[in-house]
Amino acid sequence: MADPAVMAGGFSAIVGRSGCGKATSSPAENYQLARRRTLQVVVSSLLTECGFESAEKATVESLTEMIQSCFNVDTLPGYAKRSQRMVITAPPVTNAPVIPKALIAGQKRTHPSHIPSHFPEFPDPHTYIKTPTFREPVSDYQVVREKAASQRRDVERALTRFMAKTGETQSLFKDDVTAFPLIAERPSSIPYLSALLPSELELQTLEETDSSEQDDQTDSENTPVNNLNDDPGADKENSVLLAGSVVPLVKVSEESMIDNPYLRPVKKPKVRRKK
Amino acid sequence: MNRKKDKGFETPLFLNVLTCYVMFIPHTTHQVVCINNINFQRKSVIGFVELTIFPTVVNLNRIKLNSKQCRIYRVRVNDLEAPFIYNDPTLEVCHHESKQRNLNYFSSAYTAAVSAVDPDAGHGELVIKVPSELWKQGDEMNVLKVYIEFSLDQPKGGLHFVVPDVEGSMAERGAHVFSFGYQNSTRFWFPCVDSYSELCTWKLEFTVDASMVAVSCGDLVETVYTHDMRKKTFHYVLPIPTAASNISLSVGPFEILVEPYMHEVTHFCLPQLLPLLKHSMSYLHEIFEFYEEILTCRYPYSCFKTVFVDEAYVQVSSYASMSIFSTNLLHSAMIIDQTPLTRQCLAQALAQQFFGCFISRMSWADEWVLKGISGYIYGLYLKKTFGVNQYRHWIKEELDKMVEYELKMGGVLLHPTFGGGKDKDNPTPHLHFSIKHPHTLSWKYYKMFQCKAHLVMRLIENRISMEFMLQVFNKLLSLASTASSQKYQSHMWSQMLVSTHSFLKSISNVSGKDIGPLIKQWVDQSAVVKFFGSFAFNRKRNVLELEIRQDYTSSGTQKYVGPIKVTVQELDGSFNHTLQIEENSLKHDIPCHSKSRRNKKKKIPLMNGEEVDMDLSAMDADSPLLWIRIDPDMSILRKVEFEQADFMWQYQLRYERDVVAQEESILALEKFPTPASRLALTDILEQDQCFYKVRQGACFCLAKIANSMMSTWTGPPAMKSLFTRMFCCKSCPNIVKTNTFISFQSYFLQKTMPVAMAQLRDIQNLCPKDVLNFILDLIKYNDNRKNKFSDNYYRAELIDALTNSLTPAISISNEVRTVDNLNGDVRLILEEITRSLNMEKLLPSYRNTITVSCLRAIRMLQKNGHIPSDPSLFKSYAEYGHFVDVRVAALEAVVDYTRGMHRTSPSEVSRTHPIPYVVHKILSMLGKNPPFTKAAESPLCNEALVDQLWKLMNSGTSHDWRLRCDAVNLYYTLFGLTRPSCLPLPELGLVLNLKEKKAVLNPTIKPEQGPDTTEMTGITMGVHIPGLITMETVSSVSMSSGVAPPPQGLKRKLDSVVGPLGSSSPEPGQVLQEEDTSKKFKIRFNTVEEDEIDMESPHDSQAFIHHHLNILERPSTPGKEPPAVDQAVLSLPVTPLPSSFGKESTSSSKHSGDHHHHHHHHEHKKKKKKKHKHKHKHKHESKDKERDSHAFSNSPASGRSARSPSMSD
Repeated sequence: MADPAVMAGGFSAIVGRSGCGKATSSPAENYQLARRRTLQVVVSSLLTECGFESAEKATVESLTEMIQSCFNVDTLPGYAKRSQRMVITAPPVTNAPVIPKALIAGQKRTHPSHIPSHFPEFPDPHTYIKTPTFREPVSDYQVVREKAASQRRDVERALTRFMAKTGETQSLFKDDVTAFPLIAERPSSIPYLSALLPSELELQTLEETDSSEQDDQTDSENTPVNNLNDDPGADKENSVLLAGSVVPLVKVSEESMIDNPYLRPVKKPKVRRKK
Repeated sequence: MNRKKDKGFETPLFLNVLTCYVMFIPHTTHQVVCINNINFQRKSVIGFVELTIFPTVVNLNRIKLNSKQCRIYRVRVNDLEAPFIYNDPTLEVCHHESKQRNLNYFSSAYTAAVSAVDPDAGHGELVIKVPSELWKQGDEMNVLKVYIEFSLDQPKGGLHFVVPDVEGSMAERGAHVFSFGYQNSTRFWFPCVDSYSELCTWKLEFTVDASMVAVSCGDLVETVYTHDMRKKTFHYVLPIPTAASNISLSVGPFEILVEPYMHEVTHFCLPQLLPLLKHSMSYLHEIFEFYEEILTCRYPYSCFKTVFVDEAYVQVSSYASMSIFSTNLLHSAMIIDQTPLTRQCLAQALAQQFFGCFISRMSWADEWVLKGISGYIYGLYLKKTFGVNQYRHWIKEELDKMVEYELKMGGVLLHPTFGGGKDKDNPTPHLHFSIKHPHTLSWKYYKMFQCKAHLVMRLIENRISMEFMLQVFNKLLSLASTASSQKYQSHMWSQMLVSTHSFLKSISNVSGKDIGPLIKQWVDQSAVVKFFGSFAFNRKRNVLELEIRQDYTSSGTQKYVGPIKVTVQELDGSFNHTLQIEENSLKHDIPCHSKSRRNKKKKIPLMNGEEVDMDLSAMDADSPLLWIRIDPDMSILRKVEFEQADFMWQYQLRYERDVVAQEESILALEKFPTPASRLALTDILEQDQCFYKVRQGACFCLAKIANSMMSTWTGPPAMKSLFTRMFCCKSCPNIVKTNTFISFQSYFLQKTMPVAMAQLRDIQNLCPKDVLNFILDLIKYNDNRKNKFSDNYYRAELIDALTNSLTPAISISNEVRTVDNLNGDVRLILEEITRSLNMEKLLPSYRNTITVSCLRAIRMLQKNGHIPSDPSLFKSYAEYGHFVDVRVAALEAVVDYTRGMHRTSPSEVSRTHPIPYVVHKILSMLGKNPPFTKAAESPLCNEALVDQLWKLMNSGTSHDWRLRCDAVNLYYTLFGLTRPSCLPLPELGLVLNLKEKKAVLNPTIKPEQGPDTTEMTGITMGVHIPGLITMETVSSVSMSSGVAPPPQGLKRKLDSVVGPLGSSSPEPGQVLQEEDTSKKFKIRFNTVEEDEIDMESPHDSQAFIHHHLNILERPSTPGKEPPAVDQAVLSLPVTPLPSSFGKESTSSSKHSGDHHHHHHHHEHKKKKKKKHKHKHKHKHESKDKERDSHAFSNSPASGRSARSPSMSD
């Protein structure tokens, strides 16, 4: 037998799952539900009238659908007044169960213009707040350093071991080539590039240190170029070693005005150029 | 003594050269160089030059130019085809058949070869005959235009191509080419008068791929596309008269940076390096300002270019208005250590722009003035930028280096004069090379030469004051710039050339002072002064009795007479005294100003006016002397060994403010391992006011002292607590702070301390466990994450520290080193090293410093027997394709291995490396750390090696002067001046003959051990003589000396030469006679041939060269001697020889012919005249021919005769 409560329960479950926290359905939906329920009752009673003891849920559903779609309203009064009709009492109008209102905290956000109003409302603002959790930090400096050091070492060791395992190696010992494996050197065609250019890691470090220092140095142009010159010890006599003056970068506009023969455009060959 | 004689032989030659110079040199006034094709794929260059020559003689009929390597296609003079001859005697110094193999012989032959093409003397490899149609023009002195088409194919010298082996177009690959060379080497890449004294104006044109830039001297006038738009031509004009030797070129896909402060300065670097270039060059304008200010003179050229290239020959080379640097000087803002070095290189380059490029030199003998001035003003820059401490430290360092070299190798002569007297002549008989030409100098010598030059300039400054000094420079510069703007007038342009004479004249004009004695002592004379000082305090007279002795007898020393400054620090202050060093006075009484011990404590005034409190308890109660310094200002080129008590050194270290004094005392304190010394050193270490290099020095001294005090040392290992206090965390002293490197002094100290600590040893002579763990912890806890500077140098030094901690393994018998019996500590060290080396593959450090340190460490592990000794790892790192520092470090290890193991031949390594710098490094490292020396026996010392090395210096290195001299140096180190002992006897026949006399079976070994006069004469004879049996002479002489007393003279010797050859041999005189005729004949023959073939019509130069090579070979290969007549004449003296001579008889007799000829000429003074006549005779013969042509011959010996016509004229 069809059980309307199943449907209603399913619906509210969906609503509940969607997280809107909405307790009641709209009047239009209520009407639809009521109508369907009534139809189901009608179908069931007709079936009983015809002598069926029981019917499968799917059959009831199909018949309901049929009635719903092929139902002619004009023939209804005649049919209603037939002689051996069964009088059914109207199903009791049940109000949807009242779900207790959840505690509302703060002002809910209103829908932006592109979201139709029928969509569920936003949840309470507090649900947006993330509260990361972490374990109690290890505050002992020594342990931190110890950890950082061993972690780095482990990573490095694992990485180099992996590289050594997967690639070619050179060995310092003849008897045991696996002991202290050295990643085989690989000649590069342009060896100076990797030797001179800072590695990405170093550049990253540089950026990090720069940004961390930016708080106290925001007003001075803190470019990598003049980092070297910011050294506070540089004014001492002994440390004139690397002292230099601050060199601002060339401004782009200035660069375009520079008259340098190497920046001039290359001339087109003259038509009659001697060879 | 004997050597003097034979050098005397050369003198007249040089005079010839001078005469030639006056008579024949035409002046080039303008030169066009046009290179229209540079092919990177084939490494070839095609172009032409056009020289505008102003004949200074009437009837100029031939022109000599310099050209090496170039293939010359055609020569035209004023649009007329001109015949030419191309002959380069330096290609092969001694010819094929040479069995001589002794260095004396080689050196003189090499010098002769270089002289024969010396542009300063008007010679050259390329001789062009002016077409006769133009001869008349000479009367009107019209200019001649000499047009030469040439090409270069895979040049080994002069131009260096770098073509990385990757995908893409040449520009994408970063392929580039640049000119290089040591001294005047421009002739390697285009024909010119390759002399620093030949100035002319220039027009330079280079057509290169459109993606490339050609950077050259002068102003870039325009850049024009070729018609197909695929290439462009760079047009340069250099209106300032400039020597060809100062012209350079570099072409590559360079990135361009215009100096933001001076738009006329442009920097070029290889692709991707622009950020580094920006940073590295950010300082250049200050150097410019500095020089312009002190010289009160604008930078002489209208523009300046810096080019950074890979595989550079030297770090810095300066040419007119541009400098070529090694790309490895570039660095980012994160790098500390390289920054000062790069700036110093820039400053050197710029100093040389003024003196060296703009102002050139009159002759090689004046080189010292240029090097001296540029070095001196560079020193002023150092002083201003890096501070007085750094400057004084540098001066001391340079002085020590130079003094050490001179004492070891003999003197360095700044201003050699040749041809003064007749007999005394070689000014530097102690050297195994000639200093007559820059191209015969050993590289090390040349470095020391430059060093001495600037030190002498500083001495002159001391004498005449800096103000006058700068006025002199300004005067030289302003004269030169006036001259440079003039149109061609030879006498005006010569103002741009500096000579010793003109420089000294300016000095006396400006300062009014006579610096003659100073010049005589340090410039005209080589060697340094060696002082020994000691003192006693005479309490009664309150006088300091100072004794200063000199050693002027050992090599490299000279006697000093004159003033010397002595500074005495007494209780009452510091007092300067000027003493006179005289012939016989050793003792000097210096009255003291203070009474010995004062009652009340008062501050003690120092030299600089500062007053300090001192703890005087260590002092001798009777003496008011705190410390004494001899020549504190380094105003004599000297080494001082001074004796004073340990407490005086300690006071000097603590309270003397001069860094030089501090460094001296640190050195002295090594000998006084006492707690007091320890305290003094520790105090200095802790004092952050003190110069960081002094503190670094103190670290090492402290380590040494600690080792000497091992048994009494108390407390933790030296420096450990100090390091902990300075660099470790307060809360956990075993962990080092995270790196910041904000204070550079601390940074340098932090780097040095662990390295010094690792030198500590305990009673078992092992590195203390404490120290090793400490260093391992430093590596473990090193944390650079928050540092804006790179820690690569620091980490590298920590690896160095590990290396220093290694001690020899306790070896149980001769077991093979395996992993299992690895010592526990070593295992830890090895683990660190492998990890660091592996990490370098993933995150390479700047200049791969860590790899370099790791390689050194591995070699040390091998050397100490911890791991099996095996060069294969190093060999792979030494391959082409690694960063140059890594290659050099790896090669150093291989060299070291060769020394220890006697297995691989070292020169095997040197053959496969195409980069000149690397080969140079190999050879000099081999020289520094030779696998064996002449004194020691070694399985490596064999004939093959001798041959190989000989070949290398004889012909293998003709493309690079520096390499050739390196090879010569190495040969000298390995075998000495004489014939290598490992060679079999030169002639088989002789061995057979000598067999009965067992004692002299291998007489060539003898001269090495105890050269007696006889052998010396024999050796000296070998020097000049192109004939090849000198050593046979020696051997036979020693054989006969075994029988009879040493020969009295040469006649006697000659007899003995012939003696063993067979009783039927003719009289020596007779032989000579015949040989002479044969030789004469031969020469004439050659001339005829040249006349007919070479001079009449222009030919393909290839054919010429080939032909000439044949001629080259001919004198030494009798088989090729074509005409039967000649052969017949030759064979005459041969026939009487005994058959035991066998096959070699022909060749050897011919050599002996040559030999006898010269030998005769040289030694028989009485006969000399006659001989000369003889020479003249054949001269005249050739002179007859000279009407229509000239004799050219190839061997250095005959080169002389080719020159002689001018002398006889």
